[in-house]
Amino acid sequence: MQCSEFDALLSQAIDGTLSGERLTVFEAHSRECKICGPLLHEAEAGHSWLKSLEEVEPPDELVTNILVRTTGIDTVRLRQGGRLTTSWMDRVRDWGMMLVSPIVGVARQPRFAMSFGMAFFTLSVGLSLAGVKLTDLRHVDLRPSAIRRTYYETSGRVVKYYENIRFVYEMESRVRQFKQAIAPAEERPQKRDNNDRKENKDNRSGQPDQKQERNYSRGEGVTVYASLRQNGDLSNSTLGCSRVDEPPVVPGATDRRFV
Amino acid sequence: MAALLVRRCIAGDAVAWEEIVQRYHRRIYNICYRFTGSGTDADDLTQEVFIKMYRTLNSYDVERGAFMTWVTTVTRNLLVDHFRKTRQERVTDSLDTPQSEQDDAMPLGDRIPDKGPSPDTRVQSREAREAVHLALQKLSPELREAVILRDLQDMDYREIATVLRVPEGTVKSRINRGRAELARLLQRTYRQVM
Repeated sequence: MQCSEFDALLSQAIDGTLSGERLTVFEAHSRECKICGPLLHEAEAGHSWLKSLEEVEPPDELVTNILVRTTGIDTVRLRQGGRLTTSWMDRVRDWGMMLVSPIVGVARQPRFAMSFGMAFFTLSVGLSLAGVKLTDLRHVDLRPSAIRRTYYETSGRVVKYYENIRFVYEMESRVRQFKQAIAPAEERPQKRDNNDRKENKDNRSGQPDQKQERNYSRGEGVTVYASLRQNGDLSNSTLGCSRVDEPPVVPGATDRRFV
Repeated sequence: MAALLVRRCIAGDAVAWEEIVQRYHRRIYNICYRFTGSGTDADDLTQEVFIKMYRTLNSYDVERGAFMTWVTTVTRNLLVDHFRKTRQERVTDSLDTPQSEQDDAMPLGDRIPDKGPSPDTRVQSREAREAVHLALQKLSPELREAVILRDLQDMDYREIATVLRVPEGTVKSRINRGRAELARLLQRTYRQVM
């Protein structure tokens, strides 16, 4: 027998499952081999030492702790009470623990605690920037009737605000319509005056051809003088343009250029 | 029977879960205690094992193996994680320095009775068992878990191979080496006392 084969059969020999010819060869090798022989004795000694160890009794509260940390229900305590009936407070507490303990267990992990801390910090900074003070909450009336009244007041204010806004918009639109309605009647003579007054401006509104014609008819150096009708009627006199077919012959001290 | 309990647990039966806890907590506690050498650590780790089991009960497949094997696998994985986390904190004193938190400051060498050279003839006393327990902590984790599962938990080689995820031959080799190393540690201490 080789030492490798001896090592493979060592466990079986110690367990007592080796028998027959194999056991004979095994024992003969252990007597002859200076390495395998001591190894067998040491393995047997270690085996006996380990078998001398007794089972250790766990702590009494171990099962209770396990059940509380897993299901959250202390059924052991319930059974040790003799009867399964408990007070409604205990039932509510156990039911609450069953609901809350998984959440609390998760929330107590460092990453969730950090997230909650950051959220709280952000909220507090936001409130302080908005000017909201938590001490002001002391004066807040949280009774149901007060909350209802506050709700109605707030909704009334919001409705009133939007009604006012709508009224303003309606008025603005009507004023705009009114302006648009009166604006064309006033804009026509205003446009003519603008065309007369603005000599050097490139005013393309109105009648640009007639304007040019008037310019052509008068030219650069032609001056136009005020004219009166022959019958002395001043009502139709115009200080501006005179008829082309009757050039005035009035010795003029002032020159007026008309466009 | 265990598969039925597991199905009831998954369905939400709290009584079935309590039954599982009652049935396996001693075994898991002993594995943890023998591996860590500390009752406090064993208590904490046992609770962690059951919490892990409670959360991953859905992952147990009865066709893959016995429920005991699955429970032992979960326990062993948590023990390995715990060992890696506490590697730097571990005390590596010799056997002559007191380590047990329950005993007084009697050195380990004084606890071993000085009767006869052969360990087989030693009187099995409480001090001797304590010495064996302390010597077990001196083994490497691979040898320690193998001898614990075989000699203390009476698991067969195939189950141990499934738990440790190594071949059966490796399991047997580790068990033999663990036993021999344990005997050498105890004999060395005995010779120092003499």
